[in-house]
Amino acid sequence: MNHLRFGPLRIFTIVACLVLAVGGCGSRVWSLGPNTPPANVTFNRDVAPIVYQYCSACHRPGEAAPFPLLTYQDVKKHGHQIVAVTQTRFMPPWLPEPGPLKFADERRLSDQQIATIRAWVDQGMMEGKPSDLPPKPKFVEGWQLGEPDLILKAAKPYMLPATGVDTYWNFILPLPIKETRWVRAIEIRPGDKRLVHHANILVDRYESARRMEKVPGSGFGGMEIRIESEVFDPDSHFLFWKPGTVVTNEPDGMALRLDKGTDLVLNTHLQPSGKGEAIQPSIGLYFTEKPATVHPMLLQMQNDTALDIPAGEKNFVVTDEFTLPLDVDLLGIYPHAHYLGKDILATAVLPDGTTRTLIHMKQWDLNWQAVYRYAEPVSLPRNTVITMRYVYDNSEENTANPNHPPARVRGGNRSTDEMAHLWLQVLPKNDPSQNGDPRMVLQEAWARHEVEKAPEAFEAHYNLAEMLQARGALDEAIVQFAAAAAIRPTDAVANNALGGALLAKGDLPGAVQRFNAALTAQPDYFDAHYNLGNALASQDNFGGAVEQFTEAVRLNPEDANAQANLGTALVQLGRLTEARSHYEAALRIDPTNQLARDNLQQLEQITKGTPH
Amino acid sequence: MLRGLSGLAIAVLAGMLLLAWAAPEFSLAAPVRGSAKSSDAAESPGALDLAGQVVDPFQIAAGKPVVLIFVRTDCPISNRYAPTIQALSQKYSSTAVMMLVYPDRSESAQSIERHLHDYGYKIDALRDPRHTLVKLGEVKVTPEAAVFNRNRELVYHGRIDNWYKEFGRARSAPTTHELDDAIQAALSGQSAPASVSGVGCYISDLQ
Repeated sequence: MNHLRFGPLRIFTIVACLVLAVGGCGSRVWSLGPNTPPANVTFNRDVAPIVYQYCSACHRPGEAAPFPLLTYQDVKKHGHQIVAVTQTRFMPPWLPEPGPLKFADERRLSDQQIATIRAWVDQGMMEGKPSDLPPKPKFVEGWQLGEPDLILKAAKPYMLPATGVDTYWNFILPLPIKETRWVRAIEIRPGDKRLVHHANILVDRYESARRMEKVPGSGFGGMEIRIESEVFDPDSHFLFWKPGTVVTNEPDGMALRLDKGTDLVLNTHLQPSGKGEAIQPSIGLYFTEKPATVHPMLLQMQNDTALDIPAGEKNFVVTDEFTLPLDVDLLGIYPHAHYLGKDILATAVLPDGTTRTLIHMKQWDLNWQAVYRYAEPVSLPRNTVITMRYVYDNSEENTANPNHPPARVRGGNRSTDEMAHLWLQVLPKNDPSQNGDPRMVLQEAWARHEVEKAPEAFEAHYNLAEMLQARGALDEAIVQFAAAAAIRPTDAVANNALGGALLAKGDLPGAVQRFNAALTAQPDYFDAHYNLGNALASQDNFGGAVEQFTEAVRLNPEDANAQANLGTALVQLGRLTEARSHYEAALRIDPTNQLARDNLQQLEQITKGTPH
Repeated sequence: MLRGLSGLAIAVLAGMLLLAWAAPEFSLAAPVRGSAKSSDAAESPGALDLAGQVVDPFQIAAGKPVVLIFVRTDCPISNRYAPTIQALSQKYSSTAVMMLVYPDRSESAQSIERHLHDYGYKIDALRDPRHTLVKLGEVKVTPEAAVFNRNRELVYHGRIDNWYKEFGRARSAPTTHELDDAIQAALSGQSAPASVSGVGCYISDLQ
C-alpha cells in the first residue's frame, strides 16, 4: 500500500490582479507646422480632419459621448464649447504629458490643432469647399472584431439612480466553458457607454467574488475589489475599457488563459446622467488555439500605508521605489489614485544614470483613469530603479475633494479613501545567471520589497511566503507564513497555508494544529479539510483522514483529488468497496487522474479473486 | 399650481385668468398641435409652447416671480441637473412660475416631449428659437437660469449652483445654491445673489 499517493496541497495566494485590452480613439498624426493659425480656416479643409481623427470615434450614436460630431452642422452646433474644452485639454481626454516615450493610440491634440479650432470659430465657422472634405471615418458597427466566440451578459441590470455621486458596481459573469481556453481578444460592452467612465475585468479563478453578492447574479457595489489568484500564474493582462477603446488582438503568444470554473468580474465606474438608467454589460471573448508562450506579468507598486493626508493639505507626497532584479520590457502602465490625486509621476532611473519618464500627469482625474500601452516596449535593464511619486491635494481648491470641508483621508478601498497604486505590465526576460522562471524572481523581489515597506501588512508576508515555498525555500516560507498568521491569528487562508508548509517540512503536529485553526475560522473550508486529511493520513490516522476527506467531498463532490484521496484512506481502513466507488468517481470527473487510475489498478490487484 | 402645459396655449390665447386652468399633471398624451418647425419659428417673434403657440411667461405668471431655466436635450451638464431642476420646481410650485426653455431651434416639440419624459420633468417647457428669452434673461449657456421678480425685473441670471467648476470638474455635491437663493430673494424682495456664469453648453453655438 505504500505506493498510494495523496494529491497535492491546496493553497491560495492573495494578489489582487487586473487583467487587458486597452486602446484609445484613432491613431496619431502630429501637425508639425508653426503655431500660427492659418487665415480663412474652413471646416472641410482644416477642422474636419482633426474632428474625424480625435473626436468622432466617441462622438457618434451609441458611443460614450453625449452628442455626435460627424458633420459640419454637428460641430458648428458645439463650436464655442469645443474651443473651451480643447483649450483646457478636457477634450479629447488624454491625461499624460507628451514625452519621449509614446503611447499607443495617443489622443492628444497638438497646440497647432487647438489653435486651428479656435481660429475657425473666431472666424465664423466657415464650411469651406465640398471638395476639401476628407472621407468620413469608417466605424465597425456591433462587435468590433466580428461575432465573438463567446458572449457573456450580466444576469441582471444594475439600476443607476438619476442623481447622486458616482457609483462603482461589480458584475460577476461566470464562464460557461468546460475546458481551458486561450483568449486572444476581449471586447467589453459596458452597457450604455454614456454612463460608464471605465470598466475593468478581473479574472476570478476561485469564485471568490461571489461571496460579495447578496443574491447570486445581483452583483455588488464597491470601487476596489480583491480577487484571490494562484501564484506563478499571475494574471498578465490589463483588461480595461474606457470610452473610445479600440479592441485589439493580443500579440502572438500572449493569449490569456481561462479555465473552467472561472468568473470574470466586471468592475464599472458609473456616473448618474440625470435620469434613471439600467446598466447591463456584456463581454465578448475571442478564442485562439495558440496557448501563451510568453508571460508578461503585472507588477504593482503602491504605498497606501503612507497615505494619511491632513485636511487642507495641498501637496501631500507619497512615493514607492522598486529595483528591478532582472531585465524587463515594460508594455503598459496603469496609475491609480482616487479623488485627491493631483500630480502623478513614474520614472525609471537606469543603471547608467539616465532617467526616463514613464508617465506624468499634471492633473490627475479619476474620471479619465486609463491603462496606457506603450507604442513600443520600453526596455528596462536589471537594477533599474522605478519610482512612483504621487502628489495629493486635500484642500478646498480640489474640486473633486469628496469632503466639504476637507477632512483627514487615509488609504483604503472606499472611493472616499485614497490610493497610491501604479501597475506595470512587464515582460521579464530570461536571465541565464538566475535560476528558474524569471517571473518568480521578479515576484519574489517584489514581495520582499512589500515586506520591507510594510512589515505589519498581512498580504506582504503571505505573498512572500508563497514565493519562497514555491521555489523550495521552505524554512523561510514558514517564517513568513507564521508572520502573516501572527498578524491575523484567525485567518483561515493563512493558517491553511502555514499548515501546508509545516506538512511539507514534516512537522505533522504543527500542520494539524494549523489546519484545525483554519477550520475553526471557516468550518466549510474545502482546502483545509483536504489538507488536514492529508496530514492525518501521514500520521497513519486514517479514520481521521476519512472524516476530513468525506467532508471535503461533501463540500466539493466534483474534485477528483479529494475523491481519490478519500478512496485511498478508505483502502487503508479496509473499506474497499467504498474506496472503489470514490476512485471511480475521481475518474469520472477527470479521466486523466493518474493517481486514481494507479491506485484503482492496485486495488484491483489486491481484490483480484476476492469477493466484495 | 401651474404644473400643466396641456391647457396652457388655449388659456393664453383666450386671455383667461390662468390660475384656473391648472392641469394636475403634465400629460404626455396631450396632442401636439402644430408641427413646430424651424420655419414657423422664424416667423414667431417670441417663445413658443410645445403646441407651437406664442407664449408670454409673464402673462402666465400673473404677478408671480418667473424662473426660466435654459436647457437643451443634448447637453450632458444640463441633463445631469434634471433632478435638481425638478426638485426646485416642486419646492416653488405654488409661489413662482418655473419653465424650461429650449433655445435650440432645431429641437422639435416631439424631441422635447421625449426629453421631458425621459428625465422625469413635470415642468412647462418652451421653445425659444429666436432667443427672445435668452436675450431677456441674459443667459449664455445651458444650464443657466433667469429669475424675474413680480415687477418683471431680472434679479438673477447665471448658474443654478456651484456643482460644476469647469468642464469635467464637478464637486461631489454643490456647496452654494444661487438659483434657490435668487428665487427666495425674488419672493421676499431681498437682494438676489450676484450673477455667476454657469458651466455648460454655449447658447451662442445655436445661432
